Amino acid sequence: MQTKIGKALVIGAGISGIRAALDLAEFGYGVTLIERSPHIGGILSQLDYQFPTDRCGMCKMLPLVERDAGSQFCLRKGLFHDNIDIKLSTELASVEGEPGDFKVTLRQEPNPVDAARCIGCGKCVDVCPVTVADEFNAGLTTRKAIYLPVPHTIPNPYRIDTAACTQCGACQEVCPTEAIRLVDEGRKDFNILVVDDELIVRDSLKEWLEEEGGFHVSMAESGQEALQHLKTETCHLMLLDIKMPGMDGVEVLEKAKELFPDLPVVMMTAYATVETAVEAMKIGARDYLIKPFDTDALIPKVIQIYQTLSTPPGPELEVGAIVMSGGTSYYNPADGKDTYSYGSLPDVVTSLEFERLFSGTGPNGGQLLRPSDGRPIRRIAWLQCVGSRDMQSNADFCSNICCMYAIKEANVARERAARAGTELETSIYYMDMRTFGKSFQRYRDRSEASGVAFKRGRVHSVEPDLQANDLQLRWADIDGNVAVDHVDLVVLSVGQRPAEGTQALTETLGIGLNPWGFPQTEPFSLTRTERDGIVAAGSFAGLKDISESVTQASAAALAASTTIHNAGGSIGLKDQPEAIYADVSRETPRILVTVCTCSEAVTQGVDQKALTHHLKSDPAVDRVEFLDGTCTAEGWDKLVALVKQHRPNRLLIGACLPYVYARKLKALGTEVGLDPRLMEVVDIRTPVFQAAREDAPEGTEPSAVTVQRLLAMAVARLRRISPAPVATVPVFQQTLVVGGGIAGMTAALAIADHGFTVDLVEKDKALGGNLQWLSKTIDGQDIRAFLEDTRNRVTGHPQINLHLDTRVIAAFGQAGTFYSTLEDGDGNAVQVNHGATILATGGHEAATTAYGFGTSPRIVTQQNLEAQLHDGTLDPTQLHTVAMIQCVDSREEPRNYCSRVCCSTSLKHAQALKAANPSLRIVVFYRDMMSYGFMESYFTEARKSGITFIPYTLDRRPAVAADGTDGDRVTVSGYEPIIGQPVEMTADLVVLATGIVPELPGELADAYGVARDEDNFFQEAESKWRPVDALKEGVFACGICQAPRNIHESIATAEAAAERALRILGRERLPSGTIVARIHESLCSLCERCVEACPYGARSLDPENERIVVNPAMCQGCGACAATCPNNAAYIEGFDAEQLMDVIDAALN
Amino acid sequence: MENFEPVLVAFVCNWCTYTAADLAGTSRLSYPKNVRLIRVMCTGMVDPQYVIKALLEGADGVLVSGCHPGDCHYINGNYKARRRIKLLKEILPQFGFEPERLRLTWIGASDGIEFAEIMQELVKELKALGPSQAKMKMVV
Repeated sequence: MQTKIGKALVIGAGISGIRAALDLAEFGYGVTLIERSPHIGGILSQLDYQFPTDRCGMCKMLPLVERDAGSQFCLRKGLFHDNIDIKLSTELASVEGEPGDFKVTLRQEPNPVDAARCIGCGKCVDVCPVTVADEFNAGLTTRKAIYLPVPHTIPNPYRIDTAACTQCGACQEVCPTEAIRLVDEGRKDFNILVVDDELIVRDSLKEWLEEEGGFHVSMAESGQEALQHLKTETCHLMLLDIKMPGMDGVEVLEKAKELFPDLPVVMMTAYATVETAVEAMKIGARDYLIKPFDTDALIPKVIQIYQTLSTPPGPELEVGAIVMSGGTSYYNPADGKDTYSYGSLPDVVTSLEFERLFSGTGPNGGQLLRPSDGRPIRRIAWLQCVGSRDMQSNADFCSNICCMYAIKEANVARERAARAGTELETSIYYMDMRTFGKSFQRYRDRSEASGVAFKRGRVHSVEPDLQANDLQLRWADIDGNVAVDHVDLVVLSVGQRPAEGTQALTETLGIGLNPWGFPQTEPFSLTRTERDGIVAAGSFAGLKDISESVTQASAAALAASTTIHNAGGSIGLKDQPEAIYADVSRETPRILVTVCTCSEAVTQGVDQKALTHHLKSDPAVDRVEFLDGTCTAEGWDKLVALVKQHRPNRLLIGACLPYVYARKLKALGTEVGLDPRLMEVVDIRTPVFQAAREDAPEGTEPSAVTVQRLLAMAVARLRRISPAPVATVPVFQQTLVVGGGIAGMTAALAIADHGFTVDLVEKDKALGGNLQWLSKTIDGQDIRAFLEDTRNRVTGHPQINLHLDTRVIAAFGQAGTFYSTLEDGDGNAVQVNHGATILATGGHEAATTAYGFGTSPRIVTQQNLEAQLHDGTLDPTQLHTVAMIQCVDSREEPRNYCSRVCCSTSLKHAQALKAANPSLRIVVFYRDMMSYGFMESYFTEARKSGITFIPYTLDRRPAVAADGTDGDRVTVSGYEPIIGQPVEMTADLVVLATGIVPELPGELADAYGVARDEDNFFQEAESKWRPVDALKEGVFACGICQAPRNIHESIATAEAAAERALRILGRERLPSGTIVARIHESLCSLCERCVEACPYGARSLDPENERIVVNPAMCQGCGACAATCPNNAAYIEGFDAEQLMDVIDAALN
Repeated sequence: MENFEPVLVAFVCNWCTYTAADLAGTSRLSYPKNVRLIRVMCTGMVDPQYVIKALLEGADGVLVSGCHPGDCHYINGNYKARRRIKLLKEILPQFGFEPERLRLTWIGASDGIEFAEIMQELVKELKALGPSQAKMKMVV
């Protein structure tokens, strides 16, 4: 693996953090990926299914070239990568330094369970007496104080919830490997001073903190006494009452802080004086507690403070850039007015709880049962906008994700019900269905057609109907009719909130917050902050779904990479010394088999002699050894010693959790010179759990037989392996960018700034694309100045070859080696060789003939209006009435997608017109107002300023008629549902929002081997996990040829595409994976079926030499070619037919 | 016949069903132990000859299981498997096997419970079907 000297810190290991870390690591930087919780995956570890497939697909984020540097298994299970150091339960403690040279200190929460010793037997769980709510299942189930944070991840050592643990010691006693060191001696020496004028408060706190917490407690009954005490005795924490006679708490705090500025103080207050406590935090209090105390919350809080204070800061790291990717938190309906009785009615759940409710690892194993009484659920209602688009819950924004996840949840629930053979009614109660992403509208339409009911209106209340034993929803539809519906379960589609700790983290990093409490980013950027080198990725900066999070994580990786590069971080350190493996291809197999004996399930009834004898009956097996605790550090050392002693040419380890070993095998291979492909770990523990149980059903196969067969199958596979050297393909380290709009220019600059040559091709004579007719963004940013600045940077960049008035007329090639022919307006052709291709061909405003367009100068499109407003040909003060019509020809076949920008453009224009002429009447006819994210606040503002919004449906559209001389008189009519009447107006101006159509010529897409979707946008490899990649590696797309977007979002896709391209450009040769397709040329009949079968375009016919060639860097090792080949000529290294035949034999022997 | 324990060979894909099997195992769900799991990278690499080989060697049933449609790690390998298995079922009778002895299922990575259930269901079906002819012949 080639590495560079640059390093990055990524904070938060959800999908955004993983994406950013992988992108940086694949380019060659070292990454430290820290995560506050004890597992990776963030919220996605709890969500099993995502639309549009209603399944998962997270593994598609894994590296595609040099695959073996990273893990090659389900990403929900875990991740490793040679260049990424993952630190769980770790937070950022402090940061110093400047861009390119930050010194960061981390703080890792201690875990009393030693991961190097824990073998995951679970005995500790059986004896733990403490039961608490399980956060993994959103509190729907319980767990013990010692527990597995997520059932499916690896490595997965048990953790102790120190806040809940009573330190009874039961787990420590029962642990067979002495992995648990529970007793925390430090607490006895941790002196807490309790200051309160009420004796009962002092006494009970002393009792709780000493007995349950194990702390040392002193007491003071007044401020004076407390200050005196502080002077005479060392205190580590002060719990301070606010309301005390004489000197009150705030005064004591001030004085104590003068004496001991570092003393942590927690204020104690009654609910009525919470505001004082909040004020006290501004002058240095650490936190506050509300009286009367809830012991379940109080002790953990004190323990948490103790732990933070007593944990020594971790090692200091030097990093060039910091990526913040801490995700978001979710609105808790119980926090607010709680109209829908969440918390008191068990059958009212949040959307996250519902995700767990239907999960296979959830409380009911995926069955849809009511939380209240376990009865099957037959009717479910989703209530949208809970904690979003709601001023009362302080949310003047749209959370972006809830509409789509509600539809997905409805679909998955219906599928579950269908499988169980039951009927399920699903209804979504909404204000606007915000299907503003690519393919969202069609997903919604499909769902509606399949039976999900969409009910537009607001739900007034949810009440239990005791007689019917269900819930009663009272709601008003858009016409104002009140209705009552009965359901079994209500799901509240809760909105997003800034991640917990956002404020503290941004303060540590010196970053400001936006008005909604999320990190503030720079103008025209969704990732860069006011501090160079500190960037935000994914939903941490607010309100993103998966695909946008992934895109912006790549964009953030690019920003970080640029900072690191500028500080000299791209200087190749040198390729890490390549491991030299002995060539064993001509040796007879000598397999060393080691069998782990730590599990009783395995050892019970296994006769070691008999097993050895049986295995050795295969001449390939040289030795069989039995080892205790292979996965522990001690066991592994023994294994390494065995390998060194006996020098086998193949190694088989019988143990459990094979995934855990991937990294260890690599290290072992390097150490002893044995190719890791000649080593295999087989799980012999999980399959015999049942046989080992006392209640094993009769006829269960004895463990001995199972273990023997599993090992024999692995031997069969291993003895045939004869690894060929890892292939590589050459790379032209330069890029071609097609399209000189803002996306193309941004991508070109991003790559050129990394020192690689870029050829930027634009068909027009000027750069800028659609930005040439735009003047200001909705938030008042000057687009023209921004465009001018970007153009100047492009034209002046020494690494950018600009080709204006030029088109790509022919191209072919693959990742690493593309050959394109460009032709300018004069017919001069030039050939360009490049390693990656970025398509940024853009799009334009759709033409229309609807609503009388073309019959009157008063009927214009949004682009016309933008131009007229800019050049002054339209005088808003001369207007009386303006009508705007949204979704013209959009969101219905054949253009059944939302163009994303039109609603905010209308808001922007309405705002501008209204500002110039406050008495102007503006009426907006809309279907669903797509003012997603923070744009919602402009919608709120527009309504406040008196602009009228009239919803319409496809069966009742507005109508426009022009008459008079030259169509000078324009009448707009429509239906206003709130008054239940038709309306008609004479409009001075009718503005049509016609949306965006892409410009991605079919020939161009074909030339680079990429597909277009049904609307002629670029077809990405995967809408969620690889949003800017083509299926064919090496080709990327950005801007509006990929999907409709606004300027900021187009820039983010361009940065993402550039980052993805850099992974390829950053090296002279692209290495392949180890599981890769090859060909026996002597057997090949050149039928080309394999070429057709390859989904990645990695196979092609070499007509000159009459043979099929495989591009090993593009091949992903799926084996479709091997199964298709009629002659057994195509095969997969590591999975060839002989091997599998032997394995089948062994399986049935 | 009452004590007949069918042997089931299951070709499972690395990304989805193998993960589900692992989850079922680590969650200690009980599923029949007469299932012989063979991990392949993708159901799309399961050559019909493997299936026939397994049946001829004495398996009472063969399962091919991978990612759900639209979910394949390799984009469309599972669709290729679906076409292939359908054709294979047509020709199995010529080898003397009931087509029911071959099954194709989709089991996602997080569906550990589903994996266990499907295994139980399959073993039950194979029990009803009785031992495979190939095995009977070998006994003779």
